[in-house]
Amino acid sequence: MKKVAPNFNIIFSACLPVVFAYGVYESLSYMYLAKIFPLSISLVLFITALINLIQEIRETRTASGVTEIIDAGTADLESQWDIPMAQVWSKLLVYMAGILILYLFIWIIGYPLSITLFIILFYRYVTETGWIGAFIAGAAGMGFLALVSKLLTMDWPQGLIHLPWPLG
Amino acid sequence: MELFFQTLGVVLSPPHFVMLIAGVLMGLAIGILPGLGGIVGMTILLPVIYGMEVHSAFALLIGMVAVIPTSDTFPSVMMGIPGSSASQATIMDGYPLAKKGEAARALGAAFTASLIGGLFGATVLTIIIPIARPIVLVFASPELFMLALLGMSMVGVLSGQNPIKGFLAAGIGLMLGALGDAPAVPEYRYTFGFDYLMDGVPLVIVGLGLFAIPEIVDLLIKGRSISKVATLGKGWLDGVKDALNHKLIILRCSVIGVIVGFLPGLGGSVVDWIAYGHIVQTSKDRENFGKGDIRGVIAPESANNAKEGGGLIPTFLFGIPGSGSMAVFLGGLLILGIQPGPSMVTENVDLIYTAIWSLALANVFGAGLSILLSKPITRLTIIPFSYLAPFLVLIITFASYQASRNWGDLIALLFMGILGWIMKQYGWPRPAALIGYVLSDNLETYLFISVQRYGFSWLARPGVLALALIILASVTMGIFYQKKKSPGS
Repeated sequence: MKKVAPNFNIIFSACLPVVFAYGVYESLSYMYLAKIFPLSISLVLFITALINLIQEIRETRTASGVTEIIDAGTADLESQWDIPMAQVWSKLLVYMAGILILYLFIWIIGYPLSITLFIILFYRYVTETGWIGAFIAGAAGMGFLALVSKLLTMDWPQGLIHLPWPLG
Repeated sequence: MELFFQTLGVVLSPPHFVMLIAGVLMGLAIGILPGLGGIVGMTILLPVIYGMEVHSAFALLIGMVAVIPTSDTFPSVMMGIPGSSASQATIMDGYPLAKKGEAARALGAAFTASLIGGLFGATVLTIIIPIARPIVLVFASPELFMLALLGMSMVGVLSGQNPIKGFLAAGIGLMLGALGDAPAVPEYRYTFGFDYLMDGVPLVIVGLGLFAIPEIVDLLIKGRSISKVATLGKGWLDGVKDALNHKLIILRCSVIGVIVGFLPGLGGSVVDWIAYGHIVQTSKDRENFGKGDIRGVIAPESANNAKEGGGLIPTFLFGIPGSGSMAVFLGGLLILGIQPGPSMVTENVDLIYTAIWSLALANVFGAGLSILLSKPITRLTIIPFSYLAPFLVLIITFASYQASRNWGDLIALLFMGILGWIMKQYGWPRPAALIGYVLSDNLETYLFISVQRYGFSWLARPGVLALALIILASVTMGIFYQKKKSPGS
C-alpha cells in the first residue's frame, strides 16, 4: 500500500546519523571496557544511517518532489489515515499539548488531583458526556488510584502544593 | 517428569491460581481493546511483579500474554478492527461471516482453534526442553554472544520490509540499552548530565512509550465510528465442529505459529498473515476466501496462540526473545532476579514447567471464558475508545512512575512516546527496537566476558565460526530476498 507522507520521514532519517555520530564522539572519552560496545555499534549504525538517508533522498527525488513510502506493514500496526495529513498533525499537537498541560498540573498540584481533573475534562469535552458522567469517571479514576497505591504500595508524583491523601 | 507434575500442583494452589486467573482476565480485556497487545499488557504488569513470588509472577504474566490472541478475535470478527496485531488476518473471513449473521460460528471456530494452537505450543515447549538441554549447556559466553547477534540480525532482516530500517531500529534499541552505567566498569554513558539517566531508561518506559502512547494517540485521532457492529447470532457448536473438522489445518498452522514464535523478529504481526497465506495457497477451492470461509478464521487463530509457546523457547534457553512481548517478558525475568539462558535448564527447570502449565491452563480458561462471557464482551467491544483513553493515560503514567519513582520517568515516557509515534508513522519496526533494547545488556556482558576470558581467541571457537556463517547466510539471504521482492511490489 502506498501513502503520501511529508518529508518528516527524511528529517527523522537525517537525525539518525547525527545521533550516532554523537554516540561515536561521546564514547571515545570512556574507559576501554565501557567504550568498546557503544563505540562499535554507533560506528556501524552511523554508516548504515547514512546509507539509509542517501537511499531515501534518492527515492524522494525519483518521486518528483513527493515522498512515496511503502508501508513496512508486516512489522507493525502501521498508521493508515483516512483524513488529510495536516489534520493528523494538528490533532497530534492538540493531544501532545494536553499531555504537557497534564504534566504541568502534576508538577504544581500533584498526580491524583491532576489526573482526576484530566479525566473529568476529557470526558466532558472529548468524549462529550455530561458533567455528571464526567465526575463519575473522575471519581472512578481517583478511587482506582487510591486502591491500587494502597494495595500494591505504589507511589505517585507529589506536587509543589502538598494536598492531603488521596488528593496529593 | 515428577517435577513436571509437581509444578502443576504449585500452579493450581490457590495463590498462584488466583494470579493465573487475574492474568487471564487482564489478557482478555487487553485483547479486546483495539491496538493494545501483548507488549503493552506485559509492560503494565512489570511494576506489579516487583517483589512478587516468582511462580505467581509467572502465572500472572504468562496467563495474560497467552489469552490476548484469543480475545482479540472479538473486535476482528464483530467490527472488522484488529484487537491486536495478531488478529489482522482473522478479519478477512471473520468479519464477512459476522455480516452474514454467523459471528457465533466464527468465534466458536476461532476459540477452538486458539485453544488447540495454544496447547500445541505448550506441548512443543515441553518436548523441546529436555531435548535441547545438552545442546544448550555447551554454549559459553562467546557462543551466546553470537546467538544474540544472530537474533539481532534476524530481527533486522525480518521485522520490516526494508532490512536497513529494521537493522537501524534494532540499533536504536541497542543504543538506548547502552545508556547509563556500563556493566563492567564504573562509567556512566550518555547521561547528558541527568542523574536520572545514570541507571539507563527503564524497560517499562521504553515499552509503554514506544507501544502504548502511539496507539492511544492514533486511535484518538482516528476517532473510529462504531456503527458497523455485527450481532452474535447462533452457531457456537457449528463453529466448534468446523474447527474439529479441520484438524489438519489447525495442526499445520500451529506448527507455523511455533516456528514464527521461535524466530526472533517475526512476531505477532506476521504470524496470522503467514498462516492465512499458507491456507489460501494450499487449498484447492479458494473462491470463498475473503467472503467468509471458516478456514480463513481457523488458520490465523491457531497460529497466533501457538506462537507464544514457540516464543518462550529461545527466551528461556538462550535469553533471546522471539518477539516484542517476549522481550518484555525477558525484562520481567530479570526484575524477578532470574537470569534466562543455559542456567534456566539446570537451576530453574521448575520455572519453565510453571510457564508451560500456565500457558496451557490460560489457553483453556481463555477460550472457555471467551465463550461463556461472549455477550458482555461483545458489548464491551462497542465502547468508543474516547471513553477508555483517559483511563489508559492514568494506567500508563502511573505504571511508568513506578519504574524509578522519579519525574524523569514521566519525561522519558513522553520522549519515548514521540519516538514511537514517529517510528510507527514512517514504518520503522518498533518491535525490533524493543528487542534491541532488551538484548543490549546481554550482548555487552557476553562480549565482555568473552574478551576477558579468552582474549581474541574466542573468535576462533568452532561454535562461534558456525554461528558467524549462519548470521552471514541469513543476512545475505534476507537482503537478497527483499531486493527480489521489492522492485515489483
